[in-house]
Amino acid sequence: MSSVTPFKRGDQSSVRSSTAEPILVVENITKRFETPDGVLTAVEGVSLTVAPGEFLGVIGPSGCGKSTLFNVIGGLTGGYDGRVSVAGETISGPHQSIGMVFQEESTFPWRTVIDNVAFPLEIAGMSKAARYEKARHFVNLVGLDGFERRYPAELSGGMRQRVSMARTLASEPKILLMDEPFAALDEQTRLLLGDKVLQIQQQLQQTTLLITHNITEAVQLSDRVLVMTYRPGKVKRIVDIDLPRPRTSEIVSSEAFGHYVAQIWSDLREEASRGMHDDEARTRHAGEKHA
Amino acid sequence: MTAGALARRRSFPVLLGLVMVVAAIALVEVLIRVGLINRFIVPLPSQIGASFERVIVEEGIPERFWLTLREAFWATLLLSVFGVGIGVLLHRFRILRLATETWVAAFASAPTVLMYPLFLVIFGRSANTIIMMGFVAGLAPVILKTVEGLASTRRVLIDVGRSFKLTPSQLYWKIYFPAALPSIFVGIKLGMIFALINIVGVEFLINFGGLGQLINELAERYDLPGTYAAICFVILVSVLFFIITERLERWLRPVN
Amino acid sequence: MAETGQLTHPALAMPAVSRVTVLRVAILATILVVWEAVAASGLLFRDVVPSLWVIGRAVANLLVENDFYWHLGVTAGEIGIGLVIGGTAGLVVGIVLGGSRFLSRAFEHYLYYLGPTPKIIFFPVMIMWFGVGPGSKVAMGTISCFFPIALSVAAGMRQIDDVLIRVGRSFRANTWQMVTKIYLPAMRAPIVNGVRLGLGVAIIGTLLAETKLSNRGVGFLIINSYSTFNMPRMYSLLIVVFVLSIGVNTLVSRLGNLDAVKTR
Repeated sequence: MSSVTPFKRGDQSSVRSSTAEPILVVENITKRFETPDGVLTAVEGVSLTVAPGEFLGVIGPSGCGKSTLFNVIGGLTGGYDGRVSVAGETISGPHQSIGMVFQEESTFPWRTVIDNVAFPLEIAGMSKAARYEKARHFVNLVGLDGFERRYPAELSGGMRQRVSMARTLASEPKILLMDEPFAALDEQTRLLLGDKVLQIQQQLQQTTLLITHNITEAVQLSDRVLVMTYRPGKVKRIVDIDLPRPRTSEIVSSEAFGHYVAQIWSDLREEASRGMHDDEARTRHAGEKHA
Repeated sequence: MTAGALARRRSFPVLLGLVMVVAAIALVEVLIRVGLINRFIVPLPSQIGASFERVIVEEGIPERFWLTLREAFWATLLLSVFGVGIGVLLHRFRILRLATETWVAAFASAPTVLMYPLFLVIFGRSANTIIMMGFVAGLAPVILKTVEGLASTRRVLIDVGRSFKLTPSQLYWKIYFPAALPSIFVGIKLGMIFALINIVGVEFLINFGGLGQLINELAERYDLPGTYAAICFVILVSVLFFIITERLERWLRPVN
Repeated sequence: MAETGQLTHPALAMPAVSRVTVLRVAILATILVVWEAVAASGLLFRDVVPSLWVIGRAVANLLVENDFYWHLGVTAGEIGIGLVIGGTAGLVVGIVLGGSRFLSRAFEHYLYYLGPTPKIIFFPVMIMWFGVGPGSKVAMGTISCFFPIALSVAAGMRQIDDVLIRVGRSFRANTWQMVTKIYLPAMRAPIVNGVRLGLGVAIIGTLLAETKLSNRGVGFLIINSYSTFNMPRMYSLLIVVFVLSIGVNTLVSRLGNLDAVKTR
């Protein structure tokens, strides 16, 4: 872990060009699960790459295997076909170059904000003074300065997610992996936090992979958006988001924005309705079983 | 309704209840004096009240209270250490838990206090018997609550730990244990209560120790008002103990 | 902890005897072996840890002894009557307190704080009031089980869905009908739970009273074996009491669960 000095990443070339050597390579991931109803294929043959400093959004309907993909890349799930590599190195299991931000409430309720954020530094064996100073930087980065000594229970849901994010960022991962971190928040908070994420990502040039079901969020934050099909999840399409940077949440009212949203929705709609029909069929079938 | 009126409305039933209890005691007093209740079976409440001071001074209530407290302290220490330790062991090794959890639950509902004659033989008529009886009575709830607390650690918190590549021992100390602490304290509180009940009970039964023994002694001396007074005193101590443990629990869990 | 999606390793899947059973047998066997070793070594003085064979013989002797069953009957009777009286009183008081927020606020905390006190300390008073015979033992069982049942029922009353009560009132059911047709059926779970707890403490209270002052009942037999230093007999009595007690507890729990499944 680097010492306490400027945290802005070294210069990285323009993120939009896909000719830059990708830092994250996901090759042909297929993951199956055994369920009481038979073998379920969550994702099939999913491949993607993320360039350094790029923001990739992954969007898909419920049931498209997004969370499975999240767990596979993050190393929390094994037993899949395919390969995940970071900077050329194949990974299996949690890796220190990948930082994960989870969908659910994940702050440690028994630790203060600063102790939560300093957690990865504490694990790495950093001295108390050093890790507090570093953690304080990341607390400021997410806009929670002044709240260091508070407990998560005293904060709002959005603030707690920011704490989780700061905690992951404090471990300075090469790749930030986020699974619908704003799912539990209301739309306005999401937009404002989206602003925050954009700010942070720009400042740190942080390579990010965001998994979401919210189209607005995906387009607002990403350089490219990968659309997934319904189960078994495959890559349906990759959309280049050619909106100017730096961006703010005001971009959502632009015409180009609406264009992208419409485009992605037309792709998603088909998959989402397949998902709905599948749900109904399953519920009907389950009812018949118990009749 | 004003805040003051609301407060009065809430405390009215409590006050009424208190008044009724006092009235019931007064009624008993009257019935005894009139002769409808045999005064050799139920002493005059006023007599019981009067004997309070005598009992406190002559029978050494403070020393006895202290003795019972010491026994309770040791029993609590033992059941905390062993209860949490065994609980962690059972959670850490899942197969162990699957094999023995029902046994522990059965043990929790078993009349362990009946073993006091056995403990008398092993430890003699001493404070150790009493402490061990308290320990045995309070152990099971601590084990069960410790396992429950550890097992109900939220999955996402464990995932956070795994994503930061924590070793199994780090996972336990930094995530499982802190998450389980509220449950563990509830278990220890339950254990303390069971222990105290059994401690006072065994003191009474084996005629040794502090407050429990006092009741036995006064009863054997046929000091009726004194016996009733001692019983009242033990109830008071037990109630206070219970209230303190409740307050402690609430203080340790300020935000839910 | 990672999901593999594959079948578990064949060596770990033992279809005939599960690993849990093996472990249980192993634990029990270890305990018995250690016990026998301590018994044989004479570490603790002679009879405190009798050999398993001696204990086994004592249990067998106990179970063929007519007297034992008579004493068991006495104890069971005392517990049973105590449970009936204390249980009924607890039910009535619980319904009254649970049904009225006013009364609950006035009196329930007395029950709540008196609950966790050791009831055996009331025994001298029970002897004064009911004599040295079975009466005082029944009284001990009664006051022991009254509190958990009353508190459980009171809490159960408050948890009854308000809608059900309004349905009853709208059909102008009288108090007895409300109780038997609405309150009791709706409170099956808390009642069974309260009875299970009450049974547990009634057993303890009655048996302890018998050990303190009695000339009949299982408690008497236990303290008798202590004063005659007949350790094998004491062990056999304790074993039988524990087995019966755990068995009854399990039975009541099962009955409670059966009810719950039916109403689903």
